Amino acid sequence: MAFISGAKSAQDTKQLKKPTVVSTFKRDYQLWLMILPAIITVIIFNYIPMYGVQLAFREYDFTAGLTGGDFVGLKYFEQFINSHMFWDLIRNTLLISITTIVVGFPAPIILALLINQIRWKRGKKILQTTVYLPHFISIVVLVGLLNVLLSPNTGLLGLLIERMGFEGTNLLASIKAFVPVYVISDIWQHVGWNSIIYLAALASVDPQLYDAAKIDGANRWQIIRNVEIPAIIPTIIILLILNMGTVISTGFEKIFLMQNSLNLPISEVIETYVYKVGIISNQFSYAAAIGLFNTLINFSLLLIMNTIAKRVSRISLW
Amino acid sequence: MKKYVSLFLLITFLVVGLVACSNDDETSSEGNEETEDGKVVLTGLITKHPLTKDLEDMEWLQEIEDKAGVEIKWEEVTADWDQKKGAMLAGGDIPDIIVGPNAITDADFAKFTGLFEDLAPLIEEHGPNVQAMFDQQPKTKALATQDDGQIFGLPKYQRFWPETATMQFINQEWLDNLGLETPTNWDELFDVLMAFKEEDANGNGDANDEIPMDFAPIGTGGFGFFHPTVLLGSTGMTISGGGGQGYFLEDGEVKNFFVDERYKEMVVFMNRLYSNGLINEEAFTQDYTKYQSVARGEGENAKVGYTYGWERTDRFGLNVADQYVSFDPMAKSADYSGDISWSYDYDNLNFGLNLIQMSSQTENKEAAMKFINELYDPEVSLQVLFGSIGPNIEKADDGSYTILPPQDEEMDPGTWKWTSSWADNGPMFISDELEVELGEDMKAVGEQQQPFIDAFEGLDKENDVFPGMFIKYSDADNNQMSLTNTDMMNLTLSKFAEWITSGGIEDEWDSYVQEVEAIGLQNNLDIMQGYYDDYKSSME
Amino acid sequence: MASVSMERIKNKKPGDLLFDVVVYSVCIFIFFVVAYPLYFIVIASVSDPTFVATGKVIFFPKGFSFFGYEQIFQDSRVWIGYRNTLFYAIFGTFINLLFTLPAAYVLSRQEFRARRFLMFFFVFTMFFNGGLIPTYLLMKDLSLIDTPWVFIFNPLTVNVFNLIIARTFFESNIPNEMYEAATIDGCTHFSFFQKVVLPLSKAVISVIGLYYLVWHWNDFFTGLIYIRNYDLQPLQIVLRDILLSNQVFAEGAGSGGTGGGYAQRYADQVKYGIIIVSTLPILMLYPFIQKYFEKGVLIGSVKG
Repeated sequence: MAFISGAKSAQDTKQLKKPTVVSTFKRDYQLWLMILPAIITVIIFNYIPMYGVQLAFREYDFTAGLTGGDFVGLKYFEQFINSHMFWDLIRNTLLISITTIVVGFPAPIILALLINQIRWKRGKKILQTTVYLPHFISIVVLVGLLNVLLSPNTGLLGLLIERMGFEGTNLLASIKAFVPVYVISDIWQHVGWNSIIYLAALASVDPQLYDAAKIDGANRWQIIRNVEIPAIIPTIIILLILNMGTVISTGFEKIFLMQNSLNLPISEVIETYVYKVGIISNQFSYAAAIGLFNTLINFSLLLIMNTIAKRVSRISLW
Repeated sequence: MKKYVSLFLLITFLVVGLVACSNDDETSSEGNEETEDGKVVLTGLITKHPLTKDLEDMEWLQEIEDKAGVEIKWEEVTADWDQKKGAMLAGGDIPDIIVGPNAITDADFAKFTGLFEDLAPLIEEHGPNVQAMFDQQPKTKALATQDDGQIFGLPKYQRFWPETATMQFINQEWLDNLGLETPTNWDELFDVLMAFKEEDANGNGDANDEIPMDFAPIGTGGFGFFHPTVLLGSTGMTISGGGGQGYFLEDGEVKNFFVDERYKEMVVFMNRLYSNGLINEEAFTQDYTKYQSVARGEGENAKVGYTYGWERTDRFGLNVADQYVSFDPMAKSADYSGDISWSYDYDNLNFGLNLIQMSSQTENKEAAMKFINELYDPEVSLQVLFGSIGPNIEKADDGSYTILPPQDEEMDPGTWKWTSSWADNGPMFISDELEVELGEDMKAVGEQQQPFIDAFEGLDKENDVFPGMFIKYSDADNNQMSLTNTDMMNLTLSKFAEWITSGGIEDEWDSYVQEVEAIGLQNNLDIMQGYYDDYKSSME
Repeated sequence: MASVSMERIKNKKPGDLLFDVVVYSVCIFIFFVVAYPLYFIVIASVSDPTFVATGKVIFFPKGFSFFGYEQIFQDSRVWIGYRNTLFYAIFGTFINLLFTLPAAYVLSRQEFRARRFLMFFFVFTMFFNGGLIPTYLLMKDLSLIDTPWVFIFNPLTVNVFNLIIARTFFESNIPNEMYEAATIDGCTHFSFFQKVVLPLSKAVISVIGLYYLVWHWNDFFTGLIYIRNYDLQPLQIVLRDILLSNQVFAEGAGSGGTGGGYAQRYADQVKYGIIIVSTLPILMLYPFIQKYFEKGVLIGSVKG
């Protein structure tokens, strides 16, 4: 497991002496050259516009520019937190995104391991291509598809559910069904696409390890547990950390399109709310404040997860 | 290896270079450009309907650009304007002319001060046609003028549109088949729908394929056309635009029906219909396409008994449209003797806000104003609405006009209009003096409107119709109100759907009213009442 | 499953046979669950939309016609859109990889002192951004608005997610011993990266290459916000416009019969056709990338 040996050697150098960025610069100038283009683009396109964050603390004033409006401090944050909808929004957002992570995160891992077990090459290719396809369906169409297939009178799934004895259940209308429908369709759409990264990690497993395991008499299940899963663990942990950093973000467009007056109590999330109050009526400051609020929560969760991961597995984003 | 280094350096220089030379060529796009034959070059943006053909193919537009001595480079936007607009306005990066129905709102004028040109002085000098519209239809002037007398966006007057967009239709053939009368109140409607459900009304041998009642899907932002809120008219309430966010006017007082007892009565009635299986169980979840296709039936077999729509053929398709009739608004009960009203949409349909505006950065404002003025010439306006004289309109020797049927036989007149021209999205003044023979679709609308016109006969338009579009709110009031309304819609619309589908309104009503009040409804009503009173006194 | 031949079955332990049966049945189940809606899209794209909306199309097309495809392809903008998207996607992905891979390699080097700081520096941008308006103003100041460059140089030119993926891969698959061995032969970082790291990393390069490519392919936001000249618009914007011109809107209907039957009738057919038109090229690409996910493509290289 190379990543651990890498970590070890870092520790070794640490013990010898403490090189600094400056003292290693001459040695590492090639590395600096290689990373420079990325640093420059990120500074220009990501860091420069960040001054816009202060809009969250100012009254937007067109004539005075983005940085010229009156400073209002936390007014917009207070407005959001005191808003009638605040707790409903937080609850709905967390419910949807945590369910998506808990159910949706393991799915592509399992799929990748499954695909990796198939030895019939053509079958494997067909399955792989099929599961990867739904990723390209635009959200408008996906929601349309859901409407057609789940319709209680005419859709195949709707009819199936009715046959199974749930007479008169309209999955699109029910508050209880909203989260499952959202999450399952999300998995359906992205599981194949998300499994690609794990397949790539599995492809790099050293074949000698398989041979060694077979010689030891390991059965298939043991190979999965002792060879394949360890090989994708670093990827899993990194992706899990990154996923935790999106806890308070949900897919805006899909939820917005799936909303109807019956599921509204569960389907109004922060991002749809921002759209309704912010974008439509151009309340830039309010929208910026809610955006920043989201970012802060997401970023703190990422920091927490990263620290845990570092303690437990020595894997860290930085 | 050296290759790699040099490639990297190249890329780095490229990036740095892009930054360095960034501000240089900015000035080149500005400047008072002219074409070779001396025409002023302007930039324009239009939010057009997705069906509308390319602007360069519109004969009338080329003609008036020539006449005004301008050549306009158009950017044609058909989708996602709201997202595009924010960045464009905040970036101060707008074309000389923007066309589209309320594409730039009064709230935008208030927020982006100085970005748009005050047209008032230009109209006096170069806008005789606009002036004529203001004189003949004073309402248009009220629509255009901001509180301080400035004019940023110009309105339209469309003249021929009816008094309501939402008509109710019932399947006359089904009534005849079952020996029933057209319902005149809610209880009769209930009985009729019950019969539609129980019996084989369309006579195809299947007693279960009839959908007694259907209405258009209700969004999450408020009520609109083709929604069952028109039934509130049965209680004497006059709503506009299908109900919107619930605000209406009664005896000069601004109210909101979401906390009104009469609304409660209506919801109770709807729940009675729903729980008896008389409303399409997909009414709240289907999309508009499905709503339309279900009502078109299968072959000669109609599917829907009672529903709402713009016009018979449009709603039911050619095969079954003949089976349906529009009919008088109903009373809420047999013993109800008060007024009966409906959704009054005349102003919404015939007037429009901010159809065209000019950037204050425009180099040659005079030329731009001349172009705008041309659009309001009555004959041009007619072409803005229906298409060019020649392919779309016939002009007789006596100066009267006839709207021609579609050249493409597969197309209906409505679609044809939207394909050929800016249609309802354009600025226009259809003068009452023009003599026009309308197309089949508009004639049909006119005929089917009669029941509703009768219902509006006794309507006191001054005191019972809220003049929503004529009122200009300040930026702060606007923000405040829209926040409250967003929260309120979230609660009220979901309760509306819940109460109809699963009941419970009797128990929850009082706490619901309290919650709506807590969101801040009264504050909004006070704001609106203040503006309304000002508006009313300014009209006198 | 024809190639699961008899002799192999004979050689198996019973436990493994059971294992295979479970794996294959689950896979077949997954296949049908995913494939049916896709199949539905295909048949819906050639069926009469009225039948589709009323649930008459379930297993076979009904009211067969190619009207949807005709609508899409008779629109000349589609071809311009294809051309533009192809250019943005290929050139854009090239630049993306050129910027991302070396950076990821650098960040995977344990001895690189600024590593942790720079990693934080990159990750920070995944969360904090200035929002649309300052970015728009920046693009305006850089004169990138209404140019093809905006599709290539934008806040996602270095996608930090992809950067992290590549770095993680390098960390776990390029052992430090390899670099140490290479330096003895006089290798610099440049040549080591080029001659050893890149050839060993085909799997991860295909993955993030695919990620970038697909991002460019699906990107319609850039075109929407930053492009005004229609000749520069990517395929997704064109398709969206075609889609909308065939879509019927409740709001439009009231203002004068937009709900006309003509547009109505074929809206859905166009909708489903568009998915197929826009996905097919990416679909054709996949088999080429897939081969790098095969077990053992890296035989002998890692430890060699």
